[in-house]
Amino acid sequence: MDAALLEEFGLGDARERAESWRYSAQALRALGAQSFVAADAAATPPPALMERCDWAETRGRRLVFVNGRLSAAHSDWRALAQARPEVRIDSGPAGATVIVLPAGRTGLLHIVWASVPGAAPGRWNATCAIRLEGGTAHVIEQHLAAPGADVLGALGSELEVAAGAALHLTVLSDLPAAASLYRRVRATLRERGVLCTTHALGGGRLQRFDFACDLAQPEARCELRGVFAAQGREHIDAHLEVRHAARDTASDVLWRGVADGRGRGVLHGAIRVESGADGADARLQTKNLLLSPHAEIDAQPVLEIHADEVKASHGATVGRLDERALFYLRSRGVPERAARAMLIEGFCREAFAVLDDAALGARLDTWLATHVAAGGERRP
Amino acid sequence: MNMLTIDNLHVRVAGKEILKGLTLAVRAGEVHAIMGPNGAGKSTLGHVLAGREGYEVTQGRVVYDDRDLLELAPEQRAAAGVFLAFQYPVEIPGVNNTYFLKAALNAQRKARGEPELDAMQFLKRVREKLSVLHMPEELMNRAVNAGFSGGEKKRNEIFQMALLEPKLAILDETDSGLDIDALRMVADGVNAMRDPQRAFLVITHYQRLLDYIVPDFVHVMVDGRIVETGGAELAHQLEAHGYAWVAERKLAGAA
Ligand SMILES: Nc1ncnc2c1ncn2[C@@H]1O[C@H](COP(=O)(O)OP(=O)(O)OP(=O)(O)O)[C@@H](O)[C@H]1O
Ligand SMILES: [Mg+2]
Repeated sequence: MDAALLEEFGLGDARERAESWRYSAQALRALGAQSFVAADAAATPPPALMERCDWAETRGRRLVFVNGRLSAAHSDWRALAQARPEVRIDSGPAGATVIVLPAGRTGLLHIVWASVPGAAPGRWNATCAIRLEGGTAHVIEQHLAAPGADVLGALGSELEVAAGAALHLTVLSDLPAAASLYRRVRATLRERGVLCTTHALGGGRLQRFDFACDLAQPEARCELRGVFAAQGREHIDAHLEVRHAARDTASDVLWRGVADGRGRGVLHGAIRVESGADGADARLQTKNLLLSPHAEIDAQPVLEIHADEVKASHGATVGRLDERALFYLRSRGVPERAARAMLIEGFCREAFAVLDDAALGARLDTWLATHVAAGGERRP
Repeated sequence: MNMLTIDNLHVRVAGKEILKGLTLAVRAGEVHAIMGPNGAGKSTLGHVLAGREGYEVTQGRVVYDDRDLLELAPEQRAAAGVFLAFQYPVEIPGVNNTYFLKAALNAQRKARGEPELDAMQFLKRVREKLSVLHMPEELMNRAVNAGFSGGEKKRNEIFQMALLEPKLAILDETDSGLDIDALRMVADGVNAMRDPQRAFLVITHYQRLLDYIVPDFVHVMVDGRIVETGGAELAHQLEAHGYAWVAERKLAGAA
């Protein structure tokens, strides 16, 4: 493997934790064999790409990063800057972006990470921290890439949720077959802090998502929901790790995975309850659906408990479409293709059920229609 | 003229012959009851008529409205007016009832060359049918059959039948698992739909349902065949004497 590439892509991670990269070693090796130049942070995203993130509901609340760097030309955060108290967007050390959300009503924050390939395969690397100081905030993170040459992005994020604050994070990734993305997120929750995340991960040559959530203080709680969908030769590898490090903390992990064509999915969900974290309540459930004989999904739940009086449950299944359900829908007149799409979307939608934001629900429906509804056929 | 003609039908499931020369003719406007012991092949017949995969027809034919029914995909049969109320309705989490039924109804209408219903027209029709079956509108906002009680599932089947207005409705043990009031409502729902243009195949174990939905014919199915056919009174005789009585009568008749 190309150590230099791994250094930037996996931040050395793949060497340090070879086991956690087991299912993606081959995909990573293929990337490592390719040479990448630094992607142009001044590149102009094609209008079609910008249209996909120009959401009416987030105008004036949008930060757009192009190839890893914040682009003032494509961002518009007027509404955020006018909010009182003001949302601060600072530069941290080594080019990191630090977003501070003060206690109070900040409304939506829409962060777009756009990969724009050049003539040669390009790569970018960025870090971003979000600090919620109080109250409730909703952050939408969107990952897009323009079609073209290969592009490889690496994003390290830090999320900090202050005592009593609640952060809702919705992540949508929608990548073409030439784009690869490595995201590493570290979340820390203080006393009674809440983190609710909903992920919709779709597409990409290799999408690796490492998420570590630290329930550091008493009564912190996280809800991690998500769906990954891999079609064609897409490869998506999600590693979720929740650490209960204080008393009366709660975690609820609910994920769905769908793989079609030669798609490959990995979901590793690990919950660790440290000694002393008594009263912890941990739930982890993942269900996965294989839609073609060549698709593959590996689901591994891991539960490690070192405390007493802990409530914990976990389950992981990998199955195929329920033929009885398919017949039921068809017998009522729904044509086969539509019936399949309905079942697959329904299967995924269970993980989105907690969202009660209609506009965002519609975005997720569009995402579903793009990434899973083809039901056995490759989307255009 | 017959709406449905089943002629000498032989069907294998997983290598085993289940239907062994079944013959049955149904005309528009008629209600036929099919009774018979567990495992006789009643549900198999329903599944074959609705087009479920995995059933191998080795002999015989099924003609529906002058067409070879067995040639059609399940959704084409639905559009042609065939409806099966399942013995075990399937739970489909994540798929909303309203969304599913609107898609089903409009797909059928489209296949028949009829205009699709818009959201308002559809909702009006839903409310109309819900009230006939005394079903709460709240059920429509839930996922298909998900978390429904046994009785709610059966009522939902009849509600769907009312909404889709099929020409040939096959009810597979819709009465089992219903409380007395629900049985009444289901029967009322079926009776309200009785029409010279519509036929019913009612599969049941209990004569009680047939007191409410009075059939024109009662057939007894044993081991993959119809062994006895009579009027509504046959159901009462079966209730009193059991299926062994039919077999004994056959033997006596043969002697
Ligand atoms: N997929 C299958 N594989 C093997 N055997 C099957 C299959 N489906 C049905 N059978 C068998 O076919 C026979 C008829 O089943 P069917 O469900 O049609 O009976 P039924 O008359 O509806 O019974 P009940 O009154 O209990 O509902 C049974 O012996 C059953 O075990
Ligand atoms: Mg049966």
